[in-house]
Amino acid sequence: MELGEHISQRYNQELEDIRSKVLKMGGLVEAQAENGVKALLQRDAELAENVATADDKINALEVEIDEDCVQVIALRQPTASDLRLVFAVGKVITDLERLGDEAAKIGKYSKKLAKKKTITGMHAELSHLSELALSLLHDSLDAFARLDDERAVQLLAKNDKINREFNALSRILITHMMENPRNIKNALRISWCARSLERIGRYSINICEHVVYLVKGKDIRHTDLDEVLAELFPDDDL
Amino acid sequence: MSETTKKIQQGLKKRYAREKRFRFFGLLSILISFTFLLVLLTTISSKGLPAFQQTYIKLDVLLDEDVLGVNKTSEHQALFAANYGKVIKNSLKTMFPNVKGRKQKRALKNLVSKSAAYDLRDEVIKNPDLLGTTRSFWFLAKDDIDMFMKGKIDRNVPEADRRIKDYQLLWIEQLMTEERLEKRFNTVLFSAGDSREPEQAGLKGAVMGSLFTMLVTFFLSFPIAVAAAAYLEEFAPQNNRWVDMIEININNLAAVPSIVFGLLGLAVYISFFGIPRSTPLIGGLVLALMSLPTIIIASRAAIKSVPSSIKEAAVGLGASPIQVLFQHTLPLAMPGILTGTIIGMAQALGETAPLLMIGMVAFVAEVPSGVMDPSTVMPVQIYLWSDSPERAFTERTSAAIMVLLGFLVLMNLFAIMLRKKFERHW
Amino acid sequence: MKTNTTTGDGFNIEINGTVGTPFTDNAKMGSRNCDVFYADKQAIFDINLDIGKHEIIAMIGPSGCGKSTYLRVLNRMNDTIPICRVTGEHTLDDEDIYAKKMDPVLLRARVGMVFQKPNPFPKSIYDNVAYGARLHGLASNRSELDDLVEASLIKAGLFKEVKDDLQKSGTGLSGGQQQRLCIARAIAVDPEVILMDEPTSALDPIATALIEELMDELRQNYTIAIVTHSMQQAARVSQRTAYFHMGKLVEVNATDKVFTNPEHQLTENYITGRFG
Repeated sequence: MELGEHISQRYNQELEDIRSKVLKMGGLVEAQAENGVKALLQRDAELAENVATADDKINALEVEIDEDCVQVIALRQPTASDLRLVFAVGKVITDLERLGDEAAKIGKYSKKLAKKKTITGMHAELSHLSELALSLLHDSLDAFARLDDERAVQLLAKNDKINREFNALSRILITHMMENPRNIKNALRISWCARSLERIGRYSINICEHVVYLVKGKDIRHTDLDEVLAELFPDDDL
Repeated sequence: MSETTKKIQQGLKKRYAREKRFRFFGLLSILISFTFLLVLLTTISSKGLPAFQQTYIKLDVLLDEDVLGVNKTSEHQALFAANYGKVIKNSLKTMFPNVKGRKQKRALKNLVSKSAAYDLRDEVIKNPDLLGTTRSFWFLAKDDIDMFMKGKIDRNVPEADRRIKDYQLLWIEQLMTEERLEKRFNTVLFSAGDSREPEQAGLKGAVMGSLFTMLVTFFLSFPIAVAAAAYLEEFAPQNNRWVDMIEININNLAAVPSIVFGLLGLAVYISFFGIPRSTPLIGGLVLALMSLPTIIIASRAAIKSVPSSIKEAAVGLGASPIQVLFQHTLPLAMPGILTGTIIGMAQALGETAPLLMIGMVAFVAEVPSGVMDPSTVMPVQIYLWSDSPERAFTERTSAAIMVLLGFLVLMNLFAIMLRKKFERHW
Repeated sequence: MKTNTTTGDGFNIEINGTVGTPFTDNAKMGSRNCDVFYADKQAIFDINLDIGKHEIIAMIGPSGCGKSTYLRVLNRMNDTIPICRVTGEHTLDDEDIYAKKMDPVLLRARVGMVFQKPNPFPKSIYDNVAYGARLHGLASNRSELDDLVEASLIKAGLFKEVKDDLQKSGTGLSGGQQQRLCIARAIAVDPEVILMDEPTSALDPIATALIEELMDELRQNYTIAIVTHSMQQAARVSQRTAYFHMGKLVEVNATDKVFTNPEHQLTENYITGRFG
């Protein structure tokens, strides 16, 4: 999407500010998620503690960006792509805030898991799921930063992969719990972390959907992926 | 304080001084023109005001049936033809029995105006029972007596250079002691036509002539000018060479010297169409020609200033061009058109030069009763009187100017009234 | 500070025909291949557009884009400008409005117009509203005319405010009232289509809101085409929006689409304020 500048330089600046704040918030969320995963996988109780409590900045940014959006709507009456930007931003930051919450949750459970002897053999599965979730988060934020709707649509397919990983992991945890009821407590904690990772994937997908709305003006939520592809890129063979 | 503010402040003094100077010059020029106007008006009114009064002499006249050769039963014809002058002369003789010599006798007769005999005749015809009795009548005094009464003839000038001789002075003094001399409001000025005798000369002929001329001018030039202006503004094709030429010609015509219109009238109206000269008709025709460009130009400006939004609104509702013109454009332009018309008419009212060419400068004693009667107009009357040698005509000239100015003021008031009326109508 | 000229990026985008949905099935008025010339200068290029029954279509675009000129094509107001030449087919209910047998007076009775500046006649309120009816002989007697005037004023939402002052001058009303008086005057002739040329550009927001509300009510009975410089107004009142640019019709779409996701880059640039 290539647009010229607004006649009003200040309007330009306001929209640019909002966008850069969202990117900053995205960066914070990404760092939180990465740290949470790191604490989980490396059983780093200190890092986990940090992650669990470092959510405030993200929340504060959400409120700030929300206010900025309201200001722009009230004072500039944005239309078309500007309106979609403001609206998409409003939704993206909600998702980012939830992403931050999920990262904090991972931190919280990681702290407890770090002190315990954990179920062996889960590390590989967990790291695989984390990798998928983190890369999806990273790519979706990247797509938002570049306003790359093609990339965003490509990312939509990755949700299934994460779901499959999550289901596989859950099955293994159930096996563990059935094998030894003493594992249940830790297994549930691991399950919660996996759940959070799955949520991170889902919210990242949401961000991708917002990117498509922002760029194409098309709401693709609750739509079949193939339909979306056929409608948005009729000429491309994706 | 910033540099800019300082700079502005430095310049301020000069600017204010310049403004003050400009205002002063403006005020000064207004004062100067006002002074000129005042001088003009005072001169004219100081000269003209006495003319609104006229001296009358009271004579006891014996309406002797023998002298007159008529009696109460005589026919109207006989009463009309009787020698009333003789009766008046006899009355004067009885009053001043010591008058000797032809010269003095004629002077005695000339105490009263020649019109005295006619006035007496009219009285007798009105009431034949007066015959045979002695009655007192107020007669118009001769212009010299009038002049003397108004102080225009100086007693201290040597007798040889004086219009009123010493013996006449004695008579006047005697009349004055007997209270037989009186100054009254000059009705003659407004009720009589022109005359060679100053005391009998009035403006009525000229006023009526002007009125008829103006009527002809108005009814000719107003409709033609408004129609022409409306056509040129609303209907004429734009950027058409013919239309452009007509416009240029109209503008030029407004600047043509008025005497040229007189020549044109002489050549075309009188020589070619054979319209009788010296009539208000021909005067009106010529003046209409002259005032047309003025009215057209003013009307065009007025029509142009009608907001196009009003016209568009009418067109948008389905009004035809003619309906737009008559229902909106002309009514809204009317105040401006009327102002232009009145200016044109006022110009025409004061015009002399073209009328000289078409014979309206002739001496006409009769008051015209229609547009085909020979007549003169007010400015020409002023011109004629100012040219007359008699002393008494000087003040009458100024009085005539005052009357003319009065008419112009009236016309302007009328214009303002019309404008107000139309504006209220909005 | 950086200044932005109107000849920014937005002006270099080519216009190839109209995008969106210029045609409708229930067209009240329509134009095909409309060109308008002022002397030798072409003001409007090949406009194809339908105006649907009972819809409000908004025409937006930068100054001089030809939207007002096009509006005036629709009731032949351009006839009053001698150097103006209109080509193409223009229909009102499938009748050619530029046909020889079409009387412009009748056309203007059927296609009314409301102008940018409130332009009541300098007559009484009553005479203003009655003008068109008298012109076309719509009322046979005084009481019929009274009813017509009252009904028109009621429809224009002005009756309550002026019912005691019908004989007062229309020019004495406030700007918003004057404009509603002009609307009453237009609907007194019972037109089928009302053209509005920036009807609220001289009015304050409250008067504007009243007129917008009125337009929404009028839509039940009339077809309305409105030219406006206020995009918010176009967004608020219209069902379809047409974007004009340099004499061309760039895009016609449902108003909600135009204002959230316009199809053409020029429309996007204009409505987001990227050039003026």
